[in-house]
Amino acid sequence: MASSAWAEQNDSIKRLTKPQSTIQFGAGYLSDDNARFGQFNGLRNEGLYGIFNVDILKRNDDTGTWFKLQGRNLGLKNRDIRLEHSKQGDWGYFFEFSQTPRFEPFTANTAVEGIGSSNLSVPTTPTAGDPVQLKTERESFAFGLNKFLPANFELQFHFKNEEKDGARIFGRGNRLGPPGPTATGGYEFIPEPINFSTKIFGATLNYSGKDLQLSAGYYGTLFENKNKALNIAGGSSIGGIYAPSLFSPIALAPDNQSHQGFLSGGYSFNPYTRGTFKAAYTAASQTDSFFSTQLTAPGIGSNLHGKVNTTLVQAALTSRPLSKLTLLANFRYEDRDDKTPVFLYNPNAFNIDLNGNRWSGFNTPRSFTTFTNKLEANYALPMNLRLIGGVDYEHWERTGAPQTTGHRNNTNELSGRVELRRTMAETLTGTVSYIHSERFGSNFLTNVTATGQPFFNLIAPINLADRNRDKVRLLLNWEPIEPLSVQVAVDESWDNYGDRNNSGFGVRSGNARNYSLDAAYTFSEFWQANAWFSRNETQIDQASRTPAPRELWSSKLENISTAFGVGVNGKPHEKLEIGTNFTYSDITDKFKQSITEVACCPGNTPVPNISFQQGRWNLFARYALKKNVGLRLDYILDYFKTNEWTWKGWTYTDGTRLSQDQNQWVNFLGLSAYLSWQ
Amino acid sequence: MLNGLEKLSSVLLRLLILVFLLCIMPNAMAQEDDSEEEWPDMVLRDDGKCTKCHDETSDYPVFAIGKTKHGTVADSRTPTCTSCHGESDSHMDSDKTMPPMPSRTFGKNSTNTIEDRNQACLSCHQGGKRMNWIGSAHANRDIACTSCHQVHTAHDKVRDKITQSEICFTCHKEQRAQINRPSRHPIREGKVVCSDCHNPHGSAGPSMTLRDSVNETCFTCHMEKRGPFIYNHPPVQENCAICHNPHGTTAPNLLKVRSPFLCQECHEPNSHQSSLGTITGAYARNTLARGCMNCHTNIHGSNNPENVRNEGLFQR
Repeated sequence: MASSAWAEQNDSIKRLTKPQSTIQFGAGYLSDDNARFGQFNGLRNEGLYGIFNVDILKRNDDTGTWFKLQGRNLGLKNRDIRLEHSKQGDWGYFFEFSQTPRFEPFTANTAVEGIGSSNLSVPTTPTAGDPVQLKTERESFAFGLNKFLPANFELQFHFKNEEKDGARIFGRGNRLGPPGPTATGGYEFIPEPINFSTKIFGATLNYSGKDLQLSAGYYGTLFENKNKALNIAGGSSIGGIYAPSLFSPIALAPDNQSHQGFLSGGYSFNPYTRGTFKAAYTAASQTDSFFSTQLTAPGIGSNLHGKVNTTLVQAALTSRPLSKLTLLANFRYEDRDDKTPVFLYNPNAFNIDLNGNRWSGFNTPRSFTTFTNKLEANYALPMNLRLIGGVDYEHWERTGAPQTTGHRNNTNELSGRVELRRTMAETLTGTVSYIHSERFGSNFLTNVTATGQPFFNLIAPINLADRNRDKVRLLLNWEPIEPLSVQVAVDESWDNYGDRNNSGFGVRSGNARNYSLDAAYTFSEFWQANAWFSRNETQIDQASRTPAPRELWSSKLENISTAFGVGVNGKPHEKLEIGTNFTYSDITDKFKQSITEVACCPGNTPVPNISFQQGRWNLFARYALKKNVGLRLDYILDYFKTNEWTWKGWTYTDGTRLSQDQNQWVNFLGLSAYLSWQ
Repeated sequence: MLNGLEKLSSVLLRLLILVFLLCIMPNAMAQEDDSEEEWPDMVLRDDGKCTKCHDETSDYPVFAIGKTKHGTVADSRTPTCTSCHGESDSHMDSDKTMPPMPSRTFGKNSTNTIEDRNQACLSCHQGGKRMNWIGSAHANRDIACTSCHQVHTAHDKVRDKITQSEICFTCHKEQRAQINRPSRHPIREGKVVCSDCHNPHGSAGPSMTLRDSVNETCFTCHMEKRGPFIYNHPPVQENCAICHNPHGTTAPNLLKVRSPFLCQECHEPNSHQSSLGTITGAYARNTLARGCMNCHTNIHGSNNPENVRNEGLFQR
């Protein structure tokens, strides 16, 4: 009896302390075709799907050697497999495979041929086509290994190759004649072929001492696009010299590569002071051969000889000079130096165009230098409060010239923060903070016409414009009674943008407001519930000017989102676990334009609001037939509804139309068995 | 006389007994020590003094740590209970039903400072990807390691791609709502997770991006956008986040705002660029379908060496 009791105890301890393996297998049924639900998991079409997951975890307790094999969604198109073998604290290696589909949620009805290849054939007249489902799929394979070396060193290698194949929405188009408000256009559906290889690899030598830690290594990337250009046969010739059929070949993304060497480290000067740093140098290049084309400028060479060198230096120091005071200083410098040689690629651009403009035909390398600095002080007050104050400063230097947008060489942004925080309390903790920032910069450079007269210069681009921003943030965690926790989060920000030459054009102001309420309740050891609610509102006020007669108009762009979720998990019986979760989002985009009809542009219809409703109900039940064998039931109800008009009123010149089911419901029911062992 | 001898004998006997008792006292103590061997180590080295109380029936069961890397005792670097919880003498010596708390605890009622709690982890985990923890936004906001990580369990939610975002969303509420928007990354499916783009332990990049800049982080999956191209679209090279919100949007392709409104935030109001948003009429071409990109096809940049017309307009 005694030995039996010990054996039972040993079994119990083993169950509690040793790694456990599980396999799960079964099948699920999808009730309906659903583009949104299946966009990234492949569960698009009605029918049966396999459920197969493995999680094998073994450890040799004598040597500390682990073997892990994890496979997820093996019966679906978004499967992941990872195999890992390691002797903890000594060596390890892993292999990983991952597959990620992306199904285009819109179905194309098209007569374009050759989709997925770099040679397309487009009908010359509008032609009704057949349904085509565009998709891309990523398949990645990765491996890595690490080895601990004497004297606290560790060596790591990693390699990942990802193949991305398929086709995605793309198009070409042009105005079919001289500019003017009534000019019509020709637009053709030319799906972009995707056949990319992306490789990321590197090696790192880490040192982890008590006070000093260092990482030195290499990080490399290689991108290869097997399609250099999209060649299009056919297409509409209406419009003569403006016809979209003349736009071929169309360049596709060129191969590129980068090589980075880096050294980063941290040093604890004493228990109260620590410094960290990173220094990195990256040499990136783009030397993909130009594809053959009709006409090129002389002397441009066989490729761009693109070369971008980036230097990064970052350092931070934290210190607690007094028991109540902590200080932080952070400095970051990044210099992206585009050394690509400049040639005249496009002499034709110098000819005065139909708008009376002429342009630069040179290639446009761009360099940036940024300095980012941060200072922060954190002081402990009575009642477990902390007062935090900080100053951030960011400086950008950019090369470039004004073309179709404004340009300024420098921008600076100075921010001040003050925050009151309470983290160490039993019932109420939280943070309230206020941030004010101002962005300003050097003078905008002046755009000039072909004859040298200033003419544009009305809009300060959103990333360059002067901007004042105020932001307040409140976060409260409240536990009024032991089983209940409540969290309230509120933040709001206000932006005011500067314009150019008092034009009143461009982005004028912005506002964002987010608030949320979360609650969690523990009924007992076996039952828990949670609920949350979020409301997010953003608004942008911006202005522009219509084509002649150049009437000012403005728009207030609003995005309003309401979302909530409710979840319950429980164990009503020793052998039964259940859980359910429901989430719902209602999102609306509004486009409040100050005018809808102007003399320049007859036939306008104001942009309608766009709304989306998306809901999902998940339910699972897990019943243990034995200690290590059981059944699992999963149910998902997914709902997507929209009035989106992006493609609704659009027909390509070749006759292609895109559409989606605007009211999508889907049910998925899965039944599986699981088996566990140690 | 006899009485005197008896008294002497009695005193001597008592002395002998006392000496004997004194002599055996260490053994008695030893036996008491030996009694601890009845509580052998169950999971970690030297954990017997803890696990004799903290078994599976305890309010604070600890055995599950045995399933984790911390519980791999063959690795000499792994901790024992007191490595993290401190020596906790008053806790262990107490005979009260509710003993004082251990020297260092990590639960919500802990009286230890966040720095002190985190130091328990950092004493081993300060190198590599956690090198920049001190000074990071999370450290500065008093986030404890145990706010995100669960140590005494085989399944640490934040290290699982399927469940990681639940942990991040306990603070990042705005992103919780954004991932359900119609244009999104496959975060719900666990194919892209927060830590694919951010290093929550701190980094040299802005917003704790995994790589040194926003763009370099995006390029880990979207390397075709890197170029450089013959004709570069300036914001593309500066920061992808000028036009895109990676956490989810209502406009297609993770664009912050729909065309033509987005483009009008930078482009001069000369002619067709500044048209009203409309779903009918000639300028619907700027709003419907791909919007401005109906013509300006290669909006991220073009490497087309053609010299036919103004190729800088990204039309081919």
